[in-house]
Amino acid sequence: MSTITADAQTRAGRRSVGYWARRIGSNYLVRKIIKAVFTVWFVTSLIFVLIRLMPSNPVEVYINELITQYSLTYSEARDQASALFAFDVDQPLLQQYTEYLGQLLHGNLGTSLRSPGTPVLDIIKAFLPWTIFSVGIGLLISFTLGVFLGMIMAYKRDAWWEAILSGLASMLSSIPSYIIGIVLLVFLGVYWELIPIHLMRGSHSPGVQIGFTVEFIKDIFYHASLPIATYVLATIGTWILSMKSSTMSTLGEDYVTVARARGLPESRITTAYVGRNAMLPLVTQLLISIGFVVGGSILIESIFVYQGIGFRLLESLNTRDYPLMQGIFLIITISVVVANLLADFVYGWFDPRVRVAGGD
Amino acid sequence: MQTMNSTSQQNQAPPLSIRNLWVEYSVERGLVKAVRGVNLDLRPEESLALIGESGCGKTTLALALIRLLVKAATITQGTITYRRDGQELDILSLNSRELRRFRWRECAMVFQSALNAFNPVLRIRDQIYDTARAHGVTSREETHQRALGLLEHVQLDPKRVINAYPHELSGGMRQRVLLAMSLLLDPQVLILDEPTTALDILTQRTIIDLLRRLKAELGFSMMFISHDLATAAELADRVATMYAGNIVELGSVADIFYHPTHPYTLGLIRAVPTVTGDFEELVSIPGSPPDLIDPPSGCKFHPRCTYATERCRVEEPKLEPVLGIGHTVACFHHDLVEQDTESLAKNHSHTTRKNTL
Repeated sequence: MSTITADAQTRAGRRSVGYWARRIGSNYLVRKIIKAVFTVWFVTSLIFVLIRLMPSNPVEVYINELITQYSLTYSEARDQASALFAFDVDQPLLQQYTEYLGQLLHGNLGTSLRSPGTPVLDIIKAFLPWTIFSVGIGLLISFTLGVFLGMIMAYKRDAWWEAILSGLASMLSSIPSYIIGIVLLVFLGVYWELIPIHLMRGSHSPGVQIGFTVEFIKDIFYHASLPIATYVLATIGTWILSMKSSTMSTLGEDYVTVARARGLPESRITTAYVGRNAMLPLVTQLLISIGFVVGGSILIESIFVYQGIGFRLLESLNTRDYPLMQGIFLIITISVVVANLLADFVYGWFDPRVRVAGGD
Repeated sequence: MQTMNSTSQQNQAPPLSIRNLWVEYSVERGLVKAVRGVNLDLRPEESLALIGESGCGKTTLALALIRLLVKAATITQGTITYRRDGQELDILSLNSRELRRFRWRECAMVFQSALNAFNPVLRIRDQIYDTARAHGVTSREETHQRALGLLEHVQLDPKRVINAYPHELSGGMRQRVLLAMSLLLDPQVLILDEPTTALDILTQRTIIDLLRRLKAELGFSMMFISHDLATAAELADRVATMYAGNIVELGSVADIFYHPTHPYTLGLIRAVPTVTGDFEELVSIPGSPPDLIDPPSGCKFHPRCTYATERCRVEEPKLEPVLGIGHTVACFHHDLVEQDTESLAKNHSHTTRKNTL
C-alpha cells in the first residue's frame, strides 16, 4: 500500500518536473538567459584550449627571460623556474580543464602565475575600472556627439559644410583605431611636441591621492584624455553616418509630414517624431558597443601605456600567464553576452512595436 | 427652405479662395509645372471633389493650400485667401509661426496613407495631446474628453483606441483615428487626399458614410481628392476636373456626371463602369498624361482629344460658363461634347429598350 502511494507520488513528482521544465523552456526570458550562459561556457572552453595551443608556455617564457636577463644556463634557469611556478605544464589537459571549471563554479579565477599568490580577480579589479572609465567616457562622448551631428547634417544636407563633414566622417570610420592612436602620438607628442606624452602615461600620476577630489578627477581625465580622444575619433564617424542616414529616412516618413500638417512646433517634431524614431536602430548598436567597453582596446592602451585591462591582457599574453588571460577573457565574454541580452530586452522600451506580448 | 439655404450660402464669402495659383517643382530635367493658374473657391459647408488622373496636380494643389509642399516645389504666382468670421488671411504671406497656427486649427488635412500617419513610438492619446497643445490647449483632461467623444463619433471604441499604439490598430481604424484627430480643433476646412484609396471596399463604405454624417453635423467645408468617381459622386456637392495642372471643368455633381461638357471629363466617366450606368461600353482615354516639364501647346488635352482642331493646338481655352448653374468648362468644342453625351445616353437607353423587348 505504502509502496503504491510512494510510486504515485514519484510519478506525480516526475510529471510536475517535466511540466515545469516545459513551462520554463517556453519563457522568452529564461530561454535567452540559458542561451547566454551556454555561450559564456562555450567561449570560456574555447579560450581555455586556444591559449594552450599558442606556441610556448609560461615556464618556457620565464626560462627564456632568465637566460637572456641573467645569462643562466638552460638547466639552471629551468630549476629556478620550476621552483617558482606552482604549475605543472605536463598535467593532462582534461584534468586542467575540469579543475579550472570546478574552481570557476566556486567563483575562483585562480592566481596569476607571474605575480605568484595574487588572485586573478584582484588584478582584474585593479585594472578594469580604468578601462571602463576611459572607454565608457569615450563611447558616451562619441555617441552623443555623433547622434547630434548626424541629425544636424541630415537636416542641413544641402549646406556646403555638410559634404565636408560627411567625407570626414566616412574617412574616420574607415581608419582603424590604433592608426588614429599612433598618428595622435606621433604628431601631437613627438613632431609638434604639443603634449607631454611622457607625463600622460599610466592611468594616474604617481603621487596623486586616490579619492573623490577635484585634483584626482582632473588627474585621471588628464591621463585618459589621449585614449578617450582616440576612441571618440575612431567611432564617431560610424555614429554620424548611421544617425544621418537614419534621420534622413525618418524625415521622409508620412508621420513627419502629418505632424507638420497638424501644426506641431518644429522642436517637438525634431525630438519626439524625428529624433526618437531615427535613434531606434542606433539603440541596439549602442547597447552592443557597451559590451565591448570592457574589452577595451588592447592596442590603444599599449600605445598610450594606459594601465587598463587591455594593457594587462597584452602583458599576460606575452608571459603566457594562463589563469590571468582566462580571467580577463571571461570578463570580456560575460560583458559582451550580457550587453546583447540587455539589448534584446531593453529595445522594447524604445520601440513599442517589438514589445514582447504580455509586456504591457 | 432648401433654396433659401443654398442662396444664403452662396452669398456668404467662401472660406477658401484660390486665384491664379502656380506651383513648380524643380527637378534635374527642368521645371515641372504641376499647378498652372488654378482659380477655385471653396464655399461654406460645401463638399468639393477634385478628380483627375494621377499626376495631374491634385495633391500638389491640396498641399499648397496648407503650404506643406516639399522643398523642391515653389509657389511662383497667385494668392490663397482664407476667411473666417469676416477676417481674411493671406496664406502665402504667413510667417512660419502663423502658418503653424493656421494648419489643423483652421484647415486640417487627412492624408491618403493613414497607415503611416502616426508616430509609431507614441500612444494615440499623446499624439492627440501633442496636436491640442500645439494650438494652445493645455488641459490634458479637456483634450482627453474631447478626443473620447470624437473617437466615439467615428465609431471606434474610444477607451481602447486612445491608449493604443498605432501598430495595434488596423488601417481602417487608423484612418478613422486620423479623421477624428482632424476634427479635434473644429477646423472650418477639411482637406482629404484620397481618403478611401488604401482601404477595402467595406471600410471605404464606412468612411464615406461617416464623412457624410460628420459634415452634416459639424458643418465644415470639405475638399477631397479622389480618382474614384463613385466616391466623388456620393460625397460631393460640386466636382472639379483637373487636367495637366489646371481645372478644366467645374460644376454641380449632377451636371458633371450627367452632362459633362469637357472631353476629358467625359473620358473619365466612360472609363468607369458604375457611376451612372448610362454608358455600356468602357472606353479608355487614349495616350498618356502630358509631360508637365514641356507641356503641349494650346489646350493641354488636344493630343489625346478626338474633338481637337487647329485652334486647340494653338490657343488654350479659358473656363467659360455653359448650361447649368455655376457650370464652367475650358473647351472650345463643349457644344459638340454635350451633343455627343446626349446622343450617347439616348442611344444607350434606346438599345437597352430594344434588348429588353
